[in-house]
Amino acid sequence: MARALARHWGALLVFGAAALIPIVVRDAYFLDSLVLILLWGALSAAWNVAGGYAGQVSIGHASFFGIGAYSAALLATRWQQSPWIGMLVGITLSLAAGAAIGYLSNRLKGPYFALSTIAFSQVLLIVASRWRGFTSGSEGIPVPFRPGFATLGLGHVAWVYLALVVAVLYWAVELWLEHSRFGYRLAGVREDEDAAQALGIPARRLKVIAVTASAALTSVCGTLWAQYVGFVDPFYVFSVDLSVRFALNAIIGGMGTALGPFLGSILITSLETYLRATLSGVKSGFTGIYLIVYGVVLILVVRFVPDGLAGLAARLRGRWARAHA
Amino acid sequence: MDPARRLGLAQIDVVAQLGVSTVLLGGIYALIAVGLTLIFGIMRVVNFAHGEFLMLGMYLGFFAFTLLGLDPWFVLFVSIPLFFVVGALTYAVVMKGVIHASHNVQIFTTVGLSTALQNLALVLWSGDFHTVRPWHALTPVRVAGTAFNLSQVVAFVVAIGLTVLLFAFMRWTHTGRVMRATAQDREAAILMGIDTNRVYGLSFAIGIACVGAAGVLISPLYAVYPTAGLQFVLLSYVVVVLGGLGDIRGALIGSLIVAAVEVGGSYRFGTAWKEIFYFLLFIGVLVFRPAGLFGQRGAETLGV
Repeated sequence: MARALARHWGALLVFGAAALIPIVVRDAYFLDSLVLILLWGALSAAWNVAGGYAGQVSIGHASFFGIGAYSAALLATRWQQSPWIGMLVGITLSLAAGAAIGYLSNRLKGPYFALSTIAFSQVLLIVASRWRGFTSGSEGIPVPFRPGFATLGLGHVAWVYLALVVAVLYWAVELWLEHSRFGYRLAGVREDEDAAQALGIPARRLKVIAVTASAALTSVCGTLWAQYVGFVDPFYVFSVDLSVRFALNAIIGGMGTALGPFLGSILITSLETYLRATLSGVKSGFTGIYLIVYGVVLILVVRFVPDGLAGLAARLRGRWARAHA
Repeated sequence: MDPARRLGLAQIDVVAQLGVSTVLLGGIYALIAVGLTLIFGIMRVVNFAHGEFLMLGMYLGFFAFTLLGLDPWFVLFVSIPLFFVVGALTYAVVMKGVIHASHNVQIFTTVGLSTALQNLALVLWSGDFHTVRPWHALTPVRVAGTAFNLSQVVAFVVAIGLTVLLFAFMRWTHTGRVMRATAQDREAAILMGIDTNRVYGLSFAIGIACVGAAGVLISPLYAVYPTAGLQFVLLSYVVVVLGGLGDIRGALIGSLIVAAVEVGGSYRFGTAWKEIFYFLLFIGVLVFRPAGLFGQRGAETLGV
């Protein structure tokens, strides 16, 4: 137990801090940032299952986020169902969509796979924004706020703990991927698909499973996000920018590492919150400015620290160990 | 089916209009796509920021027209060398360091560039829609019972002219041959003494010059705004994958197919749904013929 704790001191620090902060801090703005850090981290962790562990780099994961968000919002507004039901419906639809994309794009690699996922998210964007009769079209859907756990109308502190539970669960899934037979085989497929197949690993099936699981995990966060923010806008939830954001946190933190997406989210979400606070007075747009920073950070990170913060830490630790050996 | 939309002898004008629309649109799409296919084919990099250079071209057309009163046709001559330099600089600063890196690094480098440029435009010039209305955008041209404005017709002619010029350059000049050799076999080209780094820089610069010119040409035809490039670049991916990467003739044929799908789809189902057809076409092509309609040597190095 103690050894396990020592090995995961980073996760313990991150999640422990998140658990303790709401006890001390009551500032709504600060707690809001914390919820977003955890949710964005969980979303990137979900992306990481396909992108980092299976090497299926998607720029269309907003598809599943949007499916989760819309499922809950539509069920709540049209059929007065609890968002938890909506979450289940979202998971089911995302499993189907993820399996379909994973299966159809199975042969595709690198940029081709990325392009096919973008195309898929654009198809969903067009459907959601043009099918006025069902989805309210481009106006989007305001999600009604009804207090209570069953309707996910929660206060800030409750949201922190809910997001924390999801974040820790996702982190545990990735930890399992790092230490299980399934995860090892997935890594084999990622590193050299031909060699993995020659060893009898069903590469294609594993990739489909990874993409499908990743889709379902993304969808859950999509539902939570829609309930938390209270509004579903098709041009946001299905946007390429959003898909890039999922990837961005994971890349900055370290693709294919369990804690990486959360480290990336801490950095990027705090940066966003900071810029929002300092640039709120600027006229046309804080939105634009932080996205410029995103773009530049992304270019610099993939160029100079391609294995992210987690990789950087591992390298420094290795150097330290060698120096003291 | 809506009786007004049934095709028969009485609708011959409609067929002519749709046919000519397809050709005009296809020519413009071709110029946007040739730059992408050139970069794709030679550097083996998908330029996810391609649409943003188109957008910058459209803004150049807009600002030259509103601030200086310059006609886009004139700006075209300035834009080609200007975007050539922009492309060369972008290559030197951003692309050169990742040309031998993994797919993921290359994908996210150009994605990052796309996000940065798009939002730079948003911050500098706001998200408002702008239009450019020179005299030729208001001059109708009638051919065989069909009507188009002069901007559209000239954009088509210039786009086809530039595409043919690029094709001739690649086919018959020494530099073109060197570029094709690099596309076919990077290692062999290096062994033959080709400076591949210069070839990549040149390809990127030419590709950006093409798309910049396309941006200026279409500025009188479409609204100018920071994310204007997105829809065009998405359809260029369709064109490039359909035609086979690096294949200029393939890009022309692919453009015509995409334009036909768009024109036919919007006629039958209304313009609101037109994009969905080429995305479905795209997914279909990626799934069933990822190497393009004509097959493509070298596709395997991209992992298809």
